[in-house]
Formats: sequence, structure tokens, C-alpha cells
Amino acid sequence: MGVPFLLAVYYSVSAYTIYDQSWRFVGLANFAQVVRNPVFLETLGNTFLFTFGSQFLGLILGKFGAFLLLRPFPGRGLVRALIVLPWVVPIALATVAWQWMFDSLYSVINWTMIALGIISRSEAPNWLGNPHLAMVCVIVVNAWRFFPFAIVIFLAGITAIPQDVIDAATVDGAGFWRRNYQIILPMILPIMTIGLIFGVVFTFTDLSVVFLLTNGGPVNATSVLGFEGFQVGIVSGDVSHGAAISLFMLPVLFFVVIGMLRFIRRREI
Amino acid sequence: MSAIESSRVSRRRFLKQTGLTLAAAGAAPVISAPFVSTAMADTKTLTIVQWSHFVPAYDKWFDKFAKDWGDKNKISVTVDHIPVQDVAARAAAEASAGSGHDLFGWNGAGGAHLYRKFLVDVTSLVESVEKKYGKISGIGRQIGYNQDDKTWSAFPDFYINFPVMYRKSLWDEIGMKPETWDDVRVGGAKLKKKGNPVGISLAHSNDPNTTWRGLLWSYGGAVQDEQGKHVMLDSKETVEAVKFVTALYKEAMTGDVLSWNDSSNNQYIDSGVSSLIINPISAYRTAQQLNKKIADDIFVMKPPKGPKRQLMGGASEFYGVWKFAKNKEAAIEFLKYYADNWEEAFKASSGYNMPIFANIVPKPMPLLSNDPTSTPHDKLAVLQTSDEWSAVPGYPGPAWPATDEIYNDFVICDMMTKAATGAVSAEEAVKWASQQCESILDKWLHRT
Repeated sequence: MGVPFLLAVYYSVSAYTIYDQSWRFVGLANFAQVVRNPVFLETLGNTFLFTFGSQFLGLILGKFGAFLLLRPFPGRGLVRALIVLPWVVPIALATVAWQWMFDSLYSVINWTMIALGIISRSEAPNWLGNPHLAMVCVIVVNAWRFFPFAIVIFLAGITAIPQDVIDAATVDGAGFWRRNYQIILPMILPIMTIGLIFGVVFTFTDLSVVFLLTNGGPVNATSVLGFEGFQVGIVSGDVSHGAAISLFMLPVLFFVVIGMLRFIRRREI
Repeated sequence: MSAIESSRVSRRRFLKQTGLTLAAAGAAPVISAPFVSTAMADTKTLTIVQWSHFVPAYDKWFDKFAKDWGDKNKISVTVDHIPVQDVAARAAAEASAGSGHDLFGWNGAGGAHLYRKFLVDVTSLVESVEKKYGKISGIGRQIGYNQDDKTWSAFPDFYINFPVMYRKSLWDEIGMKPETWDDVRVGGAKLKKKGNPVGISLAHSNDPNTTWRGLLWSYGGAVQDEQGKHVMLDSKETVEAVKFVTALYKEAMTGDVLSWNDSSNNQYIDSGVSSLIINPISAYRTAQQLNKKIADDIFVMKPPKGPKRQLMGGASEFYGVWKFAKNKEAAIEFLKYYADNWEEAFKASSGYNMPIFANIVPKPMPLLSNDPTSTPHDKLAVLQTSDEWSAVPGYPGPAWPATDEIYNDFVICDMMTKAATGAVSAEEAVKWASQQCESILDKWLHRT
């Protein structure tokens, strides 16, 4: 289980490349070179924004999606089955569809807004060409991927809450928001945090959305650690620098996960 | 006797039957051995992997061509096609695992020089093909030749040129022809006002990486020197090139180009919007299928002249034979046969694959000099000499891992985009890109 990680460490302190696979110890030189590069620091910032932005959005969508799916309505079973689609559909296919939606010439989003008279053609947003909007796009696509998982987590948590607790709060005069934030949320926080840990870990190390949607552009505005590590280590053949870039994820993830787990333990009743 | 009793197995019957069975099983290999061993000897294999060609008909032709060769030589040939963006990762995986396909087809930057230690020396093959079919072009030499020990790591298959494709009627209306980069800017500005902007990507993909290098060289700038030992980017010429791109973007293009992938400029001209793009002829071929009227109006030219040169980037395709290949001999033999039939490959690609060897497709070249599907028939004739104005990343020096990494990191694209969008000045953009290139070059100089 730890072999890939140990290999990454092994490569990151060496001069190992695809061109020359003889292992030569270089200490922390690769890390020093990586940190000195302003592009890397930008990439590190992007990774945080991408990870926590998409998790936050995914959680909001997941929570309200779960509330909607708790209410009985005709065809609820079918909707519950279909809601997992974003999670199970191959990301390459889904991203191509999103790419069309954000396309500079044929964006269906822009076309709709123009057709409804909300904007003119000249005011149409350049979704993947504007650095800030491009980041919003990769966050939205990743949140779309993640939110069915969040719905499942929330549904599991909410349905585990004894109904008499909810009923008692309702009888005492607690409205929807009070029940939501003072009863339900505290009770499902442990399971929600576990879901969030999964989400953070998978998103922090993910490169697929960025690779397929923006290639890290425009001007590195959406480049994330996973993508940068792949480009340098695999595509360009500098395995040692690629490994060093990838290992920057480790301390971040370590502290995030430890912090979250400690938080859960404190919350446990 | 009941049915049940009759089906009961006695000890004697059991021994008799199992004895016969074992005897048959033991004798089977002995009886069939001559046939099996002959069959085993006859089923050699050759495995090939290469990109999914932008001209799908080419893949069909190649697969049949390889299979037919295999049938003639009693070799079972398998050809796998993978998306172009997966080629680098697949090569890394095969090299690291020490197993994979016999024959590996690379496309674009990277490959022959990066994987040099994993590849069979194909010098004698390349030299024999050169003797037969004429001198190798400069771009071919850049692809697979090692200057230091005068060997070839890869067989240079073809290159893809990036000519100008412009809408003749639109440029005629303004009484101009996009012969120089300045013509592109001035004419493009006029046509943008009419709703027909120039379309050259400023995003992260192969097209801008290739096109902006061409512009940089045309202005006299370059990433590295001829030996590939020093970064030459921080120069007056580069600053001029970047300033030009800034003006071109503001005057003749729209913000759309900041988000494009490699197919976007094709769609831009094929849909009738753009007045000019710089791209392989796949854009024109697609227009022929989708919109004949637009296709007839798309004309092809050499790349625009710059103040110093007339040069454009090109993409390369080359074959390497892994040292760990199970059937190296078959791979080399296949390449020999492939070279002897290269004109067929050229036709199958609709003139997209450009030859590396001077006479492998005798001039006038079929399809380019006289293309029955084009109006006029000699519309593509200018492409016959595209080896004179094509180079791969690394020019004027060799292509090597450092130039590949600069390409893969989109440093040149970003240098242009930073300045064009006004994020930084031209001088600052060049300084930034130069520092990026310095650190990459310095790193690889210590590792090769």
C-alpha cells in the first residue's frame, strides 16, 4: 500500500529522470528548485482554491439535494437512482460535455442567456478564457462530480437521526433553519466530516478535470499540483521534480485530515 | 438390472476408463507435437502503438497495411491507437515497466531524445532509407538524430506543417494578402471590424505552442542557441515579437482565443467566422466535408514573413523500437517495408503527413500538386516545399528534453498571453519566460 508513496519519496530526493534512470542522491535540491519557481506557488494556491471551493459548493448542493430527496414525490426512486450519474459517468465524457457548455463560440449557457435577452453577444462571458472564470468552471465541474457523493452522505446521516428528536424540536417551535443548523447539522457532522475528508483527499490529488478542460490555462490560472506533477514528471520525463511537486500534497493533506479527525473526536457525544 | 445399478462404477471399470483417459492425455502431445511446434514457430507477433490520426482514413489504411505485411511474413501484427495526449504517458509507462509494444510511434515534442537509452539504434535503417530516397530534411534530423555520437534513436516518419489558411474573398475585399506578419495584423484588424477576426490560439495546447514559436523565430528570437547550451530568449528580438503579438491580439483577434483547444481554430474558420488561421490542412479537409463553399474560399500560403525569417513550427511523428521489444527484427523489417511504400501512406493521409526524405514522394507530389477535390486543383501545391519553412521546438538548436519541457509547460504561449492580455509588459513577460527557460535548461544540462 505504501510502495507508491515510498517510491515518490525515493525519486524526489534523486536526480532520476526518464533519460537517465541512475539514482543519484541530491537531498532536498528538487524541493528547493520547485519552491523557487513562482509558477509552482501559483499552482499551490490554485490547488487549495480548487479543492476547498469545489468541496464547499459540493456540500451545499449535496445538502439541499438530500433534503429534496427526503421528501416524497412521484418518481423519487428514479431521481435517486439518476442523481448518482455525475459520480459514475466517465470523467472524460462528462468533461467534453462541459467543454461544449463553456465553449467560447458555441456555449449553450451563453446562447441561452443571449436568447433570453439577459446579455448581448459582446457581453458573453469567456468561461475558459478569463482566468477567474476558468477557475470557477473547474470548481463547478468538480463540485458537480462530487455532489452525488455528498447527497449519499447527507441522506445516510439525516435518515439516521431519530424522528422523535426532529418532532420534539418542531413541537418546541423550531423552524426549518433552526432544526437544520441546531439539530440536524450537529448530529450529522461526524459522517459529513468523513465524507469531506474523502472529498478533499481525492480533489487535492486529482488532475483529470483540469487536464481535460483547461490544460492548466489560461496562463496557469487553473494549474493544480496533480496536473503540474504529471506534466513535469511524466510528459517531460523529469520524474524527480514531478515526485517533489506531488509530495507537496502530503503535509497539507496530513494536517487537514488530522485536524478533521480530531474535530470529529471532540464532537463525539 | 435397474438403471441405477447399470450406471454404478465398478473398481475394474473405473481403472480401465481412467487408464485409457490418462494414456490418451499422455499421448496427445506426442501425437500433436509436430503440428503444434510448427504452428508456434509460425505465430510471431509485432505490436505497434501510435496516436489516433487526425485523418481517420489513415488509421484504417495503416492497420490494413500492417496486417497485410504480417500475413505475408507470417507475423501477427497488432496496432493500437491512442489519443495524442496519452502518448507521453504511455511511453513513460512502457519504459518504466520495461515492457509494452515493439514499435512505438511518438507524436509531437518528446520521445526520441528523452527515451534514447531505451531505444534501439536505428542508424543503419535510417541511412539505408536516406540512400534510397534522398536527403533527410532539417526537421527530420531534429526529430531523431543525436548530434553527439552521430546516431539515430528513431526513424523519422513525417512532420505536420502549419501553413496560413485564409479566406481569399475576405482578403481580396480589403485588397491585401497575408504575406507578412504585419499584413496579418493590419488586414486582420480591418477584417475584425467586418466580423471576421484572425484566429490564433493563446491558450494551452499544441497549436499556439507551434505557431508562436514560428513567429518568435521569424522575428529573430529563439529559446536556445544552436548547441542547445544557452537560453537566448531574453533579447530585443523576442521583446519585439511579444509586442507584435500584443498588437495582433488587440487589433485583429477576440478574447475567444484565450480558451481554445486544438480543434477550436478549425471550427472558427470552417464556420465562416475567421478570416485567417495557422494550422495543418486538417482544418481545410474538414471544411471540404462540412461546407464546400467555405472550403473553396480557403486558400493556403506559406507562413507569414517576419523581419528576420519566414519560418513556422511543425509537429513531428517518429517511430522508436524499444530495446525490450520482443520482436526487434520484425519492427525494423516492418519499417523498411513501410518506407518503401511511404507514398501510399502520404496518399492515405490526404497529404497531411509530410515526407522527411527528399524523394520519397517524388515532386510534383500527388494530392498537393493536383488535388481533384480542391478548387483550383493546385491550391495545396505550396505545401510541397514546407520542409524549407518548418522546424520543431529547439530551433536553431537540437530538440532535447529541455526544449520539450519548455514546450510542455507552455512557457512561450504564456509569455505571449501575459503580455497580450496586459497582465504584464512585453519586457516583463520575456524576463519571466527567460527565467523559466533558464531553470529548465540548467536542470537538464546537469541530467543529460
